[in-house]
Amino acid sequence: MSEKPQRSSPLEQMIVSASRLIEDGTVLLVGTQWPVLVTLLAKRLHAPNATLCYEGGIVLGRIPDRVPLFSADPVMNASSALMGDSLDTLGMILHAGRAHMGLISAAMVDRYGNINTTCVGDYASPRIRFGGSGGACDFASLASRLVVILEHDKRRFPEKVDFITTPGYLQGKDSRARVGLRSNTGPYAVVTTLALFQFDDEGEMILRAYHPAASIEDVKKSVQWDLKVDEEAQPLQPPSEEELKALRELDPHGMYLKNARTLEGIEISV
Amino acid sequence: MSTKEKLMSMSEAVSHHVHDGDTVFFGGFIQQNPCAAAHEIIRQGKKNLTLSSAASLTIVDQMIGAGIVKRLITTFTWNVLPGPAHCFIRSLTRGVPHKIELEEYSLLALNLAYFAGSLDLPYVAAKTSLGSGFDWEQSRSGVTNRLKFEKSPFTGERVCLVPPVKHDVGIMQVQRSDPYGNAQAWGMLGESRFGLQSCERIIVCAEEIVSADTILRDPNRTIVPAFRVSAVVEEPWGSHPSPLTGYYDMDWLFFGYYERESRTQESFEEFMKKWVYGVKGRKEYLQLLDAKRLEGLRPEKFMSEPISYGKFTRHFEV
Repeated sequence: MSEKPQRSSPLEQMIVSASRLIEDGTVLLVGTQWPVLVTLLAKRLHAPNATLCYEGGIVLGRIPDRVPLFSADPVMNASSALMGDSLDTLGMILHAGRAHMGLISAAMVDRYGNINTTCVGDYASPRIRFGGSGGACDFASLASRLVVILEHDKRRFPEKVDFITTPGYLQGKDSRARVGLRSNTGPYAVVTTLALFQFDDEGEMILRAYHPAASIEDVKKSVQWDLKVDEEAQPLQPPSEEELKALRELDPHGMYLKNARTLEGIEISV
Repeated sequence: MSTKEKLMSMSEAVSHHVHDGDTVFFGGFIQQNPCAAAHEIIRQGKKNLTLSSAASLTIVDQMIGAGIVKRLITTFTWNVLPGPAHCFIRSLTRGVPHKIELEEYSLLALNLAYFAGSLDLPYVAAKTSLGSGFDWEQSRSGVTNRLKFEKSPFTGERVCLVPPVKHDVGIMQVQRSDPYGNAQAWGMLGESRFGLQSCERIIVCAEEIVSADTILRDPNRTIVPAFRVSAVVEEPWGSHPSPLTGYYDMDWLFFGYYERESRTQESFEEFMKKWVYGVKGRKEYLQLLDAKRLEGLRPEKFMSEPISYGKFTRHFEV
């Protein structure tokens, strides 16, 4: 076993780090984009008995033959144990309190884990407008643990988001309880291409681990507030060969790993 | 069972059942989008519409860009690919071609609003959206929706009250229907079942028209019974570029193509001239597409085992 470990990209590190948070036997609500690949990787490696549920009404039956490009990809049609209504998954699983973890992508995340995928500026006349919640607000309101996965960019980490599409710890401390959110819910981790964050007792984001090629200072400079750092913060464990191999087999054409889904730089003729 | 045949052309269905100022539900959660119907609505120049669509994709973007939308009820408006819905964004940030009004919810909240609408419930109480921007009472976010927030009379906890959302007319692309409107859909149904049932009139667009007997042999798959349906349109490939379970894949290159063409209002209008205004209907639209590539979107067959519902022909004897 003296083979040199393969080098991984920051995206691969992010996806592998997030997948390690998933425990076998748990019920997951899987959002679109990064969570699709993160959860399939976990199911393939260390969580074969995880139940993957999607907001359109799918409970997955087996790992699809082609990597789904989004959480409603028709490749799921022949890979599902249940295809029903959104109320099957968002209602009778998520609202019923049966989801251990929800996983979502995000545009912006703030100091208390509040997520904005709605707009920058005033809601009535936004400077920038994003797509909106979909099921993300519901995942964060109702899943026991919320995991947020996004590519790191300082602009995406403001101290306070303009619109809380998806509630984190709001203003910190007991503010989730004050607005009526259930007590056993809330953000569990934020995983980026640069670091892994969790939340302290005040509901504030705290650095737990960072990319092996980065430093704590690099991460502190990559958010727009004075970031708390765990005393035991350490470098992330790089992806193992087994993890990298499984990941690249799941996504052989780099739809996620090389962002080929976006079709940037590709001639399209219809 | 309603035994009135309701088969008609897309043009007749839209002209008879979609009126200026209507609130229109578009079924299909990414899959099964009624794209052919939306294009006909644009061609007929319907005005001041309120669109209602849980996952609003290219057809919603196109209707906004075409200037026929007054208000949008939505949870998410984007292209399928990670490319934005440019017309939606132009409307909200720059008022081009005009600014639409929004009624915005989380996906579960809107599903519950359709559920309440379909049963004519006064409201549904839920534990989502609390404290978020959708919770206008706590967040002062300026969000526009019709949620209310109260203490539960049973437990005293703070709950989100979701109003019924109802529609004048609903449209969905399904796999098959009989001529009377017993419509069958399978695959991921998202919000479609309750969205359709909260409509006064329903237009069913079907890949295939089948006999009443075919429906009777598999009634679990019926999403809406004939008596609720106003029009049945036979429209193969009616969801393209969206996918339809068992019939075709999503045409994701076409989504990418549309995303590029819609980056400016000018190039968007060129796209619409070619693909919407320049064709009479779906048949001509399909002729613009590379037939070989289109055929490549067909899936391999993956057949279910036949099941039996069991039939009884003899009366009880006493």
